[in-house]
Amino acid sequence: MTKSIISGGVYLPTLRIKRDEYLSALGSCSAAMREKTVMDIDEDVITMAVAAARDALADLDVSRVGVLTLASTNFPYQEKALAGTLVEALGLDKHVLTSQHGNSTIAGTEALLAALGLLEQTEQQYALVVVSDAPTSGPDVDMEHGFGAAACAFVLAKDEPGLAFEGVYAQSGETMGLRYRLPGETDIRDIGVKAFATLDYNEMVKAAVTGLVSKLNRNLADYRHIVMHQADAKTAAALAKKMGCSDVQTKEGSVFADTGDIGACSSLLGLCRVLESAASGDCLLISSYGSGSGSQALSFRLQAPLKNSGSFQARLEDKKYIGYIQYLKQKRSI
Amino acid sequence: MGAHISIPMYQRAVPQRYRLVGQRCGACGKINFPPKAVCKYCYQGTSFEDVQLSGRGTVYSYTVIAGGGAPPEFAAEARCKGSYPVIIVELAEGPRVIAQMVNPPEEGIAIGMPVKAVFRKIYEEEGVIRYGFKFSPA
Repeated sequence: MTKSIISGGVYLPTLRIKRDEYLSALGSCSAAMREKTVMDIDEDVITMAVAAARDALADLDVSRVGVLTLASTNFPYQEKALAGTLVEALGLDKHVLTSQHGNSTIAGTEALLAALGLLEQTEQQYALVVVSDAPTSGPDVDMEHGFGAAACAFVLAKDEPGLAFEGVYAQSGETMGLRYRLPGETDIRDIGVKAFATLDYNEMVKAAVTGLVSKLNRNLADYRHIVMHQADAKTAAALAKKMGCSDVQTKEGSVFADTGDIGACSSLLGLCRVLESAASGDCLLISSYGSGSGSQALSFRLQAPLKNSGSFQARLEDKKYIGYIQYLKQKRSI
Repeated sequence: MGAHISIPMYQRAVPQRYRLVGQRCGACGKINFPPKAVCKYCYQGTSFEDVQLSGRGTVYSYTVIAGGGAPPEFAAEARCKGSYPVIIVELAEGPRVIAQMVNPPEEGIAIGMPVKAVFRKIYEEEGVIRYGFKFSPA
């Protein structure tokens, strides 16, 4: 059975804050985005998830969805099955197989891989993967400066032409002290040694990506687009270059400059962006990363253009800027 | 709290609040939303068929709730934004519903402007998030 992504969906909140706002309010900004997405006061990762899923399911028969997987690092409840909220909001069949992934920014690709597996356990034709994230911390934590918000969704199908899944390769290991959050705490902690964080990112992602291309007997040059996990744009770009990727291969999948750090969504939103221009025959590679740590690299080949690749560009252009004070009010910090 | 709606009452209305499920009257064929025990149009029909509404409609009327005028469950939102618009939407299928508007245009809301339903947090009570529909410019 081949399994392919046949449809994509995107949601970006309308509100944006420019990096310049941080510079004029705080005198500095720890993240190198141009601007980032901000959830409105009545939005959370579930409302964004519903919007992205509706985008992906437009024109499809929702009664044929047999699997729903969901990922975020910032669910609104620490305990509660949230797939049910989506089942109701989307009008899905109540017997869908569900799985919920969190606790790390690697959760996005985990949800995609889980859906590929669960699809074999259902008589239905489709699996829906929804990854919605808005990493959160107090405004006095440097890492917070880069935290944005976004959601993306994919419909996987059995034996239908689309973006065919080719394979995965993973790397996991124990790395201590990088981007973690204790139960009940709202702030992200980190030992704050940038060189150590970069070293871990490089080792994990490189092992997953090189392992994948060698498993598939390919070279990185065979890929039209290579989408990296972008907790910050510079580290991702530097590693891609070090591995031998060209700027042309990585440019279109970069979303950090426009959205900031969108956690578990990062490389999957990049995938939505490249799908808007990818052509039949193109090979695409995406890699995720979660601190602590692990990385998963996934390979796809576009057999036929998607019916619906999601509304990335339209969402990107629909925006309204807010100032830093309003941003703090949105976050209920003041 | 203001107009307290208990969890069981809210939960019974989840299909209509989360995805706009209306009902078609078996007697006159008109669409009721929110669902009724007796059709509000013909006062006779008591059997209905569920219909998925499109979420599309136009602004029939609107008002703007200023900070002090917000009921307690919306006070946090009013404090954050200063004020927020509430609109009556005439849905494409006929019924008129009342809801908040998100991302109102800077030039102001106009009667007749097209809108579409979006899924948002309406308010939170007892630590339970009440999701539902609002409308954004279409």
